Amino acid sequence: MSVHDLMKEYIETGRIKIDKSKHPELTTYHDPCNYARKSEKTFGHGYYEEPRWITQQCVDNYVEMHPNRGNNYCCGGGGGAWAMPYSEERIYYGRVKAKQIKDTGAELLIAPCHNCRDQIMKSLRQEYDMMNVEVKYLWELVADSLVIEGVDDKEE
Amino acid sequence: MHGDTIVLDKREKRRLAGEYPDLCLTCGTCAGGCPVTGVDGLDMRKAVRMALLGLDQELVDSRFPWICTICGRCEAACPMNIDLMKMMRSARALRDRDKVPGVMHKGVEMCLKTGNNMGIPKEDYLFLLEDLGVELAEELPGFEVPVDKKGTRIMLTINSKEPFNEPEDMFFWWKIFYAAEESWTVTSENWEGVNWGLFTGDDDAMKEIVRRIVENYKELECEYLLLPE
Repeated sequence: MSVHDLMKEYIETGRIKIDKSKHPELTTYHDPCNYARKSEKTFGHGYYEEPRWITQQCVDNYVEMHPNRGNNYCCGGGGGAWAMPYSEERIYYGRVKAKQIKDTGAELLIAPCHNCRDQIMKSLRQEYDMMNVEVKYLWELVADSLVIEGVDDKEE
Repeated sequence: MHGDTIVLDKREKRRLAGEYPDLCLTCGTCAGGCPVTGVDGLDMRKAVRMALLGLDQELVDSRFPWICTICGRCEAACPMNIDLMKMMRSARALRDRDKVPGVMHKGVEMCLKTGNNMGIPKEDYLFLLEDLGVELAEELPGFEVPVDKKGTRIMLTINSKEPFNEPEDMFFWWKIFYAAEESWTVTSENWEGVNWGLFTGDDDAMKEIVRRIVENYKELECEYLLLPE
């Protein structure tokens, strides 16, 4: 089962409750090659819409980067590049992604892939002067948006 | 594919050309849309020409197949639908294993030996899960990490960088499961969700790592397998 299908199911069926007010900032979404383009090629279904839907259940203020979905640019950390010694080339690769993100004006970027998240959060933000952009996994966004009965209502 | 050329002897030996590069129109769409075109004087269009000409070893020895992230943007745009990702991964596979750049092949060997890429010992890993479970239970009453629990709906793999470097990042999924009152488990062995054999072109290792995960999944009789990578 895909992480996207599972999170979507939880939200759709009301098994988890989300509070949108926890993420008021302008938010954009990065399509990882593997969940998107390569999943479409390999399995006949690219996860383009599900993660966008999940993201927009957690935030109201949403913007797309361009190009997106099947034409999205790789972050530069994929295919093992994050674990390879060619960091200069990896950072050079990421300049296109960095510009895409900056052009949206978003302050929160959602990436549902470990490689993409690490490349953007730990490298591209520093290299391309965009430390103001927070980076979260999609499941981190969902976890941080949760309203848990018997826990959150006690605190209030 | 008609007529002979000066490199015919090489073309007969070619291993990288895959199924369709013969069809390449040399339009350069692949290279035009790629952020690393020009690095080391190479690009995807040139790589296809090299494969077609039988210059396999030159491509295998170059850094290009490793600087390419195999993101597939070129292949999605190719008007002749040439299997470019397969070609690049095959070039990686043809490298001697001791010449795979960086830590990835070591990670593959470590995973085959210990069940995770970082070589985290089982007792340390189990102690960490228990310890983190206690920490999270302070926020979420009654929470604990289920290990090797049979018959759950979901079996979850873990990216070893999390227990190794960023253990609290495991809380995200744990919190979601708690909120959803999900029936889930992790496993005590072969829990690694990262498969570097995919990236190094090592099919045998990749299959073995997948086989072990499936074995856990069958033994525990779980309904779904979840790999958050």
